Amino acid sequence: MNYFRTKKNIISPLYMAVFFLLLTATHAWSEDTADQSPDAQTDVTLATDEAVSDAGDDTWTEEDNWDDEWDEGDTIADPLEPLNRAFFHFNDKLYYWVLKPVSRGYSAITPEDVRIVVRNFFDNLRTPTRAVNSLLQGQVRDSSVEVTRFILNSTVGIFGLGDFAKDVLDLRSTKEDTGQTLGHYGAGGGFYIYWPFLGPSNLRDSLGLVGDAYLHPLIFFDADWGVIVGLWTFEKVNYTALTLGDYELFTETALDPYTAVKDAYNQYRNGLIKE
Amino acid sequence: MGKYSKQLVLISVFLLMVWMLLSGGEKALASSENDPLVQLQKSVDEILMILQSEELQAPEKKDERKQRILAVVNRMFDFRGMARSSLGQNWNNLTAEERDRFVSLFASLVEQRYIGKIDAYSNQKVIYKNQRVRNNKARVYTAIIDKDMEIPIDYSLQISQGKWLIKDLKIENVSLIANYRRDFNSIIRKEQFAGLVEKITEQLEKSEMQN
Repeated sequence: MNYFRTKKNIISPLYMAVFFLLLTATHAWSEDTADQSPDAQTDVTLATDEAVSDAGDDTWTEEDNWDDEWDEGDTIADPLEPLNRAFFHFNDKLYYWVLKPVSRGYSAITPEDVRIVVRNFFDNLRTPTRAVNSLLQGQVRDSSVEVTRFILNSTVGIFGLGDFAKDVLDLRSTKEDTGQTLGHYGAGGGFYIYWPFLGPSNLRDSLGLVGDAYLHPLIFFDADWGVIVGLWTFEKVNYTALTLGDYELFTETALDPYTAVKDAYNQYRNGLIKE
Repeated sequence: MGKYSKQLVLISVFLLMVWMLLSGGEKALASSENDPLVQLQKSVDEILMILQSEELQAPEKKDERKQRILAVVNRMFDFRGMARSSLGQNWNNLTAEERDRFVSLFASLVEQRYIGKIDAYSNQKVIYKNQRVRNNKARVYTAIIDKDMEIPIDYSLQISQGKWLIKDLKIENVSLIANYRRDFNSIIRKEQFAGLVEKITEQLEKSEMQN
């Protein structure tokens, strides 16, 4: 009895938040059609600022260094390198010996459409993470889009199997997570961590993973550890089956795959935080 | 009254034609032959055509297929410039022969990664989002729709002898050049430039054996 009472206490504010976000979503959505992309907005302001005809470009100045980046850039701190390399080796073997053959077998018995549907389902479960983190970063519109997506895809899209919100209403998901929220408020990556099973991360994003976990419905509703691990593995196999070959291509065209993955992770995360 | 509405129809048809003419003209201007986006699209389409050609899928045509792809790729990339920026400061310490040799090794490495990526997605849709041009530099933003997911690929180009050449590309925000620079550096720091050349040669031979 007591158990139910505490759950209810958590959930009723959640319902209210959802309701509120849904209200703002419908409002934001009508605005959205007016200015398609955030780019369009900044372009206009820039053009009037600089009065140069081809200067309507927001990312240029900031990204100008992209091709002339001459300096080596700040190195990524990696005090745990020996341990990280050991785990990298472990995951690499895990991929070739277990994950890849299993994913191959799995993709032999499931049509691609099914794998996409499974991916959508798991992706839908991460909506609370994205919605909360968009909100924490002050992106009210993105957050309300996430909530709308969740409601539509869980109902009309049947438990998130289809992406009705994107396909029909062009409501696109953001990729926000707790690590990015920390980055948004100025937290650097800290040092690099390569986790067994989980792969590349850093101090900031590992803390972020804990936050993400608490926002995941499975953990929020206190599922068994067995169920959590089982579903996580299934998600991983399904995802690998959809991206077979990517890992090989990247590591085989790198000279020191460990360093290449570390840098790619860093660039990828920085790109996401900047967005 | 009837006469009136006829006039109205005529006027609106006329206006519509003027509008179509104007907007059509604008479009023609906007996407001229020399646009980086148009040039890039042409080359990528050419690669996709070779990849998807059923005739070239036959095992005995494998070499021809590869050669034809390489011919297009070699026209698209500024491999010398890319190789130089991937080495950073180290480039300055090399002799002319060392540089030439490194450029060709580097080109093979990039070809593998880039073609591999394109090949994996050969049945998917490529979309060209927009381009930004400033003087002799440009960015072209594209994406590949793969299994219902959008993978952004951004190109950085520079004009050279009237043609737009690729200087770098970012797949999901990861710059190819920056990635190779870190990768190469970690080898050079321990095994010097000679070690790097040896490693690349080894790597290329290994993948040659696999294919």
